[in-house]
Amino acid sequence: MVKLRARCIVVGDAAVGKSALSHMFCSDGSHFQKNYSMTAGVELLVKSVNIPETSDSVELYIFDSAGRETFVEACEKMWGQPSVVCVVFEISSLDSFNSCSRWLERVRAQCNGLQLLGVLVGNKSDLASRREVETTVAQEWAQEQGLQYLETSAKEMESCDAPFLSLAQAFYALYQDRRQMIQRLG
Amino acid sequence: MLNTALSSFGAQVVLVTSSDENHPPESMIDGNTETFWLSTGMFPQEFIIRFPDNMKISVISIDSSNIKQLRIEKSTQEDEKFDLMAEKEFEHIEGGLQTNEIPVDGSNATQLRFLILSGYDHFVSVHRVGIQA
Repeated sequence: MVKLRARCIVVGDAAVGKSALSHMFCSDGSHFQKNYSMTAGVELLVKSVNIPETSDSVELYIFDSAGRETFVEACEKMWGQPSVVCVVFEISSLDSFNSCSRWLERVRAQCNGLQLLGVLVGNKSDLASRREVETTVAQEWAQEQGLQYLETSAKEMESCDAPFLSLAQAFYALYQDRRQMIQRLG
Repeated sequence: MLNTALSSFGAQVVLVTSSDENHPPESMIDGNTETFWLSTGMFPQEFIIRFPDNMKISVISIDSSNIKQLRIEKSTQEDEKFDLMAEKEFEHIEGGLQTNEIPVDGSNATQLRFLILSGYDHFVSVHRVGIQA
């Protein structure tokens, strides 16, 4: 049995639903905040994810970060050395999608050359009638950046867990890979 | 002496910040580089080795992988505070172990605390810790 720990940085423009997603995941879907309350700085949430068919788990330290530019510098100082990243935009806002590369670069800049596993999340999939970002476009960009693409709706409780479970599994796979590499060194 | 298992003269690992039951902390003091302790994510990481008696230490050796910045501290009694002994940035070794011998001032210590501040990967391993007394 092993318990891994990963620093998961959640970034994206303001009001795309980063906190809603993070809270839905951490409260197992029991907590969707209907009123918007802006995150200033970073909110830290912790949740353990079991890896299927093993007795192992990954403890995610979720750094839900403010999307407002004024808070960015303060946030960067609190991230430390990130393990994984979750970049969020809303499918009904092209602007929020266009910001994703800037957010990703900011997190990468804190990595000191370490590999950064990540997911790109198109949130608010319930607003399909106002969609401004096509799934294929988002998918293509995600692939270029080595991210996995997922669509969620925190409001409809649709797939909220998926990005975090995917990150936990990817981190676990990386651990197993490195463990085997190190085994060969001794 | 550097290659002697620390466990053979009663040393113990009394604190460790990561644990994978396949890679127990004792692997660091069994004198064998094939067995190792592995960190399980995030920095810093830390472990403390306690000796049965005060030891006069002149060199500390470490076989490891992926460690970047390491700080070693010592204390002379179980409850006493730790003082800085050495600080070192290891070189990145691809496809092999990092082998470092760190000369220290020859002072007494009952506990050594190793703080791994950063790494060349998300996970670092320590295969053997030895001392020259």
